[in-house]
Amino acid sequence: MSDGFAIATGTSEVGGVERRASRSLIPLIVPILLVGAVLSLAPIWLGESRVLMRVAVRGLAFASYAVGFNLIFGSTGQLFLCVGALAGVGGYGAALLADEAGWPLIPSIAAAVVIASLVGGLLSYVAVRRSLGVIFTGIVTLIFSLTFLNVVHQIGGDAGFAIQSGSGTFLRSATPSYYLMLGLVLVCLLVHGLLRRSHIGWGFRALRDNEVAAELAGINVARYRVLAALIGAAMLGLAGALFAQTRGRVSPTSYEFAEVDVLVLVMLAFGGIGTLLGPILGAIVFTIVGELMVDLGLLRLVAHGALIIALFLWVPRGVIPTIGSALTKRRRRRPTPSQEAALPERVEDV
Amino acid sequence: MRATIVDGLALGLRFGLLAAGLTLVYGLGGVLNLAYGQMAVVSAMVVLFGIDAGVGVLPAIGMGLVAGAVLGLIFDLTLLRPVYRRQGESRVLLSLLLSLGAAFMVDGYLSWRYPFRSLSIQIAGGPMNIVGVRLGRGVVVASGITIVVLALLFVLFRFTALGRAIRSVIEDEQGAQLVGISPRRMLRLMLILSGVLAAIVAVTQAMVRPVTVTTGFELTVFALIVTVVGGLGSFAGAFLGGLGLGIIWSFAASHIGNFLSLVILLGAAAITILIRPSGLLGVKE
Repeated sequence: MSDGFAIATGTSEVGGVERRASRSLIPLIVPILLVGAVLSLAPIWLGESRVLMRVAVRGLAFASYAVGFNLIFGSTGQLFLCVGALAGVGGYGAALLADEAGWPLIPSIAAAVVIASLVGGLLSYVAVRRSLGVIFTGIVTLIFSLTFLNVVHQIGGDAGFAIQSGSGTFLRSATPSYYLMLGLVLVCLLVHGLLRRSHIGWGFRALRDNEVAAELAGINVARYRVLAALIGAAMLGLAGALFAQTRGRVSPTSYEFAEVDVLVLVMLAFGGIGTLLGPILGAIVFTIVGELMVDLGLLRLVAHGALIIALFLWVPRGVIPTIGSALTKRRRRRPTPSQEAALPERVEDV
Repeated sequence: MRATIVDGLALGLRFGLLAAGLTLVYGLGGVLNLAYGQMAVVSAMVVLFGIDAGVGVLPAIGMGLVAGAVLGLIFDLTLLRPVYRRQGESRVLLSLLLSLGAAFMVDGYLSWRYPFRSLSIQIAGGPMNIVGVRLGRGVVVASGITIVVLALLFVLFRFTALGRAIRSVIEDEQGAQLVGISPRRMLRLMLILSGVLAAIVAVTQAMVRPVTVTTGFELTVFALIVTVVGGLGSFAGAFLGGLGLGIIWSFAASHIGNFLSLVILLGAAAITILIRPSGLLGVKE
């Protein structure tokens, strides 16, 4: 009868009915390890090409960005249009602390991550306290992005600067830095996955589905939002800092709105907003697509724009979840009426 | 001191006109058009090609205005169809995302096809004295055009039947529908008007400094900031916010330094939003 109970309390979880009370970590760990295993093979056939390895490392950085943004936007519905800026706080912060203030590398990265996290938390706190809607949150964070970029142009110049600290260590060589970034991606995934399973995840789902109802049910919406922003921004900051270290330089263009935020939005929209592995799949696909389109130059921007339009118009749930649910529907050829009722009809608000 | 204020007012007028096109569309239809700056840039390019083809400056500007109107209509007929099927916040979000996509398509194409092109319109004649301040003739003409257009908009909204219909939709969409006003048609008209306004912004801007193919995003962001400060959906707010920010900008540029003026402007905008989330003259939702 456990099945009947699961249906009765069926949630609107994206991509399938959530089974009741399976507390084992296996369903969470296995997919993440699988992703790790597949991605860890990449250096073998990317071979010795430094260019391709650099592209792959960049792809992993974007995968981490996408996971962080997914936690903030996908889980709690806060449109943070400052993904690049928060990553830049991590990247510039770590570089400046290490090179200018003379801190050791690891404490300066840690401090930069804390700063990025606090900035994200502050933005979220302000948005929640002033009860700004999705749109105003987007505009305020967009203003923050522009301010950050302007400041960065002043302190580091248009071309950025080379990071002295960490040069000559494993951070600058291709394969170790690839595995470092892969580790980061897996940690971000694990954190997000664990959050989703915990009571915090239930809070996220409740407030995303219906904010007022969640508040009435005793969920502190403000606290959950700020928490998501703190953790997500920490992921963004850490990814930004480590990515800058592997490149050996920081520059405004690598954190620009048009370079980072748009691409992350495309990746997430493709993989499925609010899903666990969607951001990773999106990042892989668009890193490869971006590499194939590299000769197009500026026309890539046109392609990204067209993709944003197409994805949000026709597959707002994301390509992967749409294909996934189409497959599961075919597999269960004759669903019983009760199962039919339990199959979630996702509310179509992006 | 006086020069700073006059400079700020001239800039503020252009800010106000820039924001008017964005804020009206938002107030009327709950649609946030992030491709607004790109509309202006495309119109500017039409003017540029017109001048290149030798039709003369004034006819070319006319072509630019028509192009703006057509762009507004195209936007309404294509991307806004699915947007309009949604309600409330979901509608704003979808319009924001779709127009962002459109903005990048236009930006990417223009900077790929016509890199380094820019429109600047030279007004013959030396600087003029306005209340004892020497201003470039381009600035004076641009400010004059802006004042006239803003006044026309004011008259349109205050004193004509069309203006009353538009205001009634902003006030209460269902009520307007009940008395036989079609919100959908009003929005279409407003988008066309907003396209024309974008084209006028491009032309007046080109009299002061060159409008390059990559100016679009910057224009959108300024429009957005002025709009938000003035209050989304409020025409008077856009005007007031524009003047205020223009003066702040000009003070920051002359007393603190050009390099920080953008940061100060953004900071002022952020503080205004935090103190009054609905903007100076915005209506609390």
